Amino acid sequence: MPTSRRAFTAAAVAALVLPLSACGSGGDGGGPADASGKVEGDITFQTWNLRANFKSYFEGVIAGFEEKYPGTHVKWIDQPAEGYADKISADAAGGTLPDVVNVSPDLVAPLAEAGLALDLDKAAAKYAPEYLPDAWASHRIPGTSGTYAFPWYLNTGPLFYNKSLFEKAGLDPDQPPKTYDELFADALQMAKRSDGKVATLANVPTIEDFGRYGVQLMDKKGTGFAFDDAKGVELLTKYKELYDAKALDPQALTATPESSGRKFLTGAVAMNPGSALDLGNFKKQAPGLYKNIGITDQITSTGHVNMYVMGVMVNSRTRHTPAAVAFAHYVTDARNQMSFAKKVAIFPSTAGSLDDPYFTKEDGTDETRVRIAAAKSLKNAVNYTPVLFSEQMKTALRNEVAKALQGKESPGTALDNAVKACDRLLRQQG
Amino acid sequence: MANLTTRSRVRRQLPTTPWLFAAPGLLITGAFVLHPFVSTLYSSLTDRRTLIPGRFVGLANYRELIHDDMFWTGLRNSSLYVLGVVPALVVLPLLLALLVRKNIPGITFFRSAFYTPVVASIVVVGLVWVWLLDERGLVNSLLETAGIGRIGFLSDQWLLLLSAMAVTVWKGLGYYMIIYLAALANVPRELHEAAAVDGAGPVRRFLTVTVPAVRSTMVLVAALSSVAAFKVFSEVYLMAGPSGGPAGEDTTLVMLVQRTGTGLTGRVGYASALSVVVFAVTVALMLLVLRADRKEGP
Repeated sequence: MPTSRRAFTAAAVAALVLPLSACGSGGDGGGPADASGKVEGDITFQTWNLRANFKSYFEGVIAGFEEKYPGTHVKWIDQPAEGYADKISADAAGGTLPDVVNVSPDLVAPLAEAGLALDLDKAAAKYAPEYLPDAWASHRIPGTSGTYAFPWYLNTGPLFYNKSLFEKAGLDPDQPPKTYDELFADALQMAKRSDGKVATLANVPTIEDFGRYGVQLMDKKGTGFAFDDAKGVELLTKYKELYDAKALDPQALTATPESSGRKFLTGAVAMNPGSALDLGNFKKQAPGLYKNIGITDQITSTGHVNMYVMGVMVNSRTRHTPAAVAFAHYVTDARNQMSFAKKVAIFPSTAGSLDDPYFTKEDGTDETRVRIAAAKSLKNAVNYTPVLFSEQMKTALRNEVAKALQGKESPGTALDNAVKACDRLLRQQG
Repeated sequence: MANLTTRSRVRRQLPTTPWLFAAPGLLITGAFVLHPFVSTLYSSLTDRRTLIPGRFVGLANYRELIHDDMFWTGLRNSSLYVLGVVPALVVLPLLLALLVRKNIPGITFFRSAFYTPVVASIVVVGLVWVWLLDERGLVNSLLETAGIGRIGFLSDQWLLLLSAMAVTVWKGLGYYMIIYLAALANVPRELHEAAAVDGAGPVRRFLTVTVPAVRSTMVLVAALSSVAAFKVFSEVYLMAGPSGGPAGEDTTLVMLVQRTGTGLTGRVGYASALSVVVFAVTVALMLLVLRADRKEGP
């Protein structure tokens, strides 16, 4: 029966084609970009691996918001740290991005370019003065106008070192290196005295390290990378010297922050960057190390330490823009940030919060000493990682750095190649 | 007359009815196999990114991968993986199967022990091997005690690839051993007895009786393991790290697909072109193995 066959063929084609039609950017434009309407409706808030330790804090914040704005309901979802960017990209591509999302500047950049992040300079400019100016600016994207996330908590940390290993290497455990020259000299001595068994550093230099060394990372317009200048080559040449002398761990080329942390815990590496949070880990996991722990400032040639910034973004396609903006502001306001900072070693990005006695008054404990020193350094800290520096760019730089350390390329050629690769990726990003 | 009507009704329904039975399977295959495949083929001709639909660019992605050093590194490593892993996975499980098929006391324990790595999570297995092969791990401590000195299993490009291959072989032994055990059960005992009567020793019996009898299973194992080896991801990713080992020199093609195509700035179009190449090579490998089997066949 021809009609049945045709009907069947049509059904089969439809079955194949219909899923295809599901492809696309998703979403339907959502609600208004103006946040001035009535704060009401159901919104979803996504955090980045925070439920396990801070469930009651966030439930309290959400309850407070719902009480302040009757008619609102916040559904809180938390995603694990692993694969967070992939989860956001899947949601963004599928049109299921939550209304309010915990992001970092490098995550917000592609979302803003795709038109998925609400421009707060238009929708919520009145809140800008509540935050530290540098923190507010941290979610601006070069080449575009606008700010695409509320600044949330900041973090920075000292450099931890193993006093016992310093002593064994004939170094003064109370005089840790303060400059790059001192660091390189101490590292070489440590490697020589330990017969290459103890390295001082466990990681290859990242874009942030080049920044702290005083290398200009991008051109002034923000349209291309520039870290292959003489200063950049100088830093990589020093690292090559350390790698050859085993002052940089031989496994640094494949190291991750977790593996470096483990090496520091086991005494295979003498220095490691960290935060006040790590002191608790040392106390619990390596009491022997904790007794010998030394704490010193991040080494920098610029006078500005590195800081990490977390943000809270509003989905531009939310159906309840006023509620989403109000909630993003509520989570990041001075009161809630201060309350969060007292639960975990993070620092508020709101103006004046760092002058609170909690961040200025000593009580004799190591935790407080680290916290006060970090809060002080945050006042002029810089987020060195350019917001446009994607994961693919990080890999390109890391691979070229590894080639230089292995002697397959000169430091100059390696950095030239890295800049070319990053520029190409930048152009492909649009 | 009634009989005639029924027959014509049956004839009318015949072309449609089987299709209706097949429809659920076809729908699932269409939605989850055919559609992603066609979608990947189309994506490979665009400059699509994770959040940007992209434009049609013809064969530009394929032209780009010819000039991409990392593509050739990935192709080299995936091919080396096939060359290193497949012979071991064709021969070693057969020897293991011959060993554990004997009915001796306690053999069940060994059968289970050899199969355990198959059911263990690859992530757990990978991490355990990373700890074992670390510069300060158990293997290096033993080597140092023996006076050989430490070996950079996880810091040398080639040793890292070899270590990952060893883990793949170790983890796959039990799976292919089971396949061989089933094949060996079908080898007539009389053949072995006749060969023994003719004076053939164990090695000769293995080569002239066992191997020809399980030849088709060996081809199957070669086909399955070569496809799996070419598409290797987890072992290398866990042992070499997300950047693919020192300077990315241990990156495999599938790792490159993952690194290029995922994340918010993922180049989905280019990653799709890489996937199409992986697919083409995989099909070619299968055809090669099957062709070799036909040539050598009786």
